[in-house]
Amino acid sequence: MISEEQQDQAALYALGLLGADEDAAFESELRANIELRDLVRELREAAGNLALTAPSLLPPVSLKQRIMGEIAMEAKRVVPIPTRRASFSWVPWAIAAALAVFCGLLAVDRVRLEHQLADIRAVDPLMQTTFYTLAPSAPAPTDAKATVAWQPGSQSGVIRISNLPAPEPGKDYQLWAVDAEHKDPISAGVVRVDKDGVAQIRFKPVEKAEHVKAFAISLEREGGVPKKEGPILLVGTI
Amino acid sequence: MTGTSSAQEMLDQEMIARIGRRDQSAFSALYDRLSGPLYSLAMKMLGDPAEAQDALQDVFLQIWSRAATYHPEQSSVFSWTVLLTRSRVIDRLRARGRRSRVVVASTEETPTGAADASTVESAADTVEKHDEAARVRYVLNNLPSGQRETIELAFFEDLSHHEIAARLGQPLGTVKARIRRGLLKLRERLNNL
Repeated sequence: MISEEQQDQAALYALGLLGADEDAAFESELRANIELRDLVRELREAAGNLALTAPSLLPPVSLKQRIMGEIAMEAKRVVPIPTRRASFSWVPWAIAAALAVFCGLLAVDRVRLEHQLADIRAVDPLMQTTFYTLAPSAPAPTDAKATVAWQPGSQSGVIRISNLPAPEPGKDYQLWAVDAEHKDPISAGVVRVDKDGVAQIRFKPVEKAEHVKAFAISLEREGGVPKKEGPILLVGTI
Repeated sequence: MTGTSSAQEMLDQEMIARIGRRDQSAFSALYDRLSGPLYSLAMKMLGDPAEAQDALQDVFLQIWSRAATYHPEQSSVFSWTVLLTRSRVIDRLRARGRRSRVVVASTEETPTGAADASTVESAADTVEKHDEAARVRYVLNNLPSGQRETIELAFFEDLSHHEIAARLGQPLGTVKARIRRGLLKLRERLNNL
């Protein structure tokens, strides 16, 4: 049960109105109170929505170019610059040329293989499988991962999860299909990992999902929920 | 539930995860999705296109550098970026002592303070985005006026709850209660609409 005073603090905290001392005290209270944390998250969402009441404007296109330029420059700064030896300065160019030719051959070969694969898929429904690699989002461990093999034709799939520790009591992991034609993710059921953090199960979403853009795993109440409520732990597109 | 559907929220989280791995194409996609609402917020608070653009640049560079520290259990990507924007704008307001430029009263769809460099959102923008904004505006406008006014002051201006109480000539307890009740109602009504 959250007291009225805690609700007051939660609302002020969500709006960033507490002073530094009050912030620190409230955060220590938050760490010990899951219900209060959930309330703060929901109040933050409500507060975040207030931004949408501002008159609608778009920034100039040049701003995006400026920002993309900044991050590209930053990316270049972290790339180590190789040392050059003048007497062999032609060697990197020769390697680059050879690689270019090799890549060209690979590209031609890839196109040929893709055509072959398309032909096989057309006659073999078992080959009509799409693979999704799910990467962790905080608070999942950074080495947690999952792969989904999805067959749109049969509307079913297989998921394999590894390095995902069992959830706390009263919680379950739930799999979702994010479909372009559905506003909300479609539940594909609860997924339970073993003591080693591994699971491999077959699943079938509860509704038809013909344009799946991504799969995701969230942490939900035990037994699962009809509509996603909890945080996403793993998510990935094709 | 939020400024985004939960399916969109999942995709946002994936984009943030990819940005955390220094994926520039994911960053570009997230910029395209969020720059409009975040710029609109910065413009409403600062009332100056050049400053709003600088603030937006700070925010997106911060998203680029801090994506790996984003915690989905604390807020959605949308709310996280809104709160980052608000925080950067408040830094600017404090640094430049320009609180008087804040525009609070208007919740109309008319662009205010738009200068040559800005572009009013085109009709081609998604219906969904406008629906969501209309929905939030409807809920906000239907809160009791005291709660709405207090929440708008708290969110769009750099005022502490003590300063809001002084501005409105209301006891501090009343201001706290209005903020609490208003935000709780906003949450409940947005969830139920």
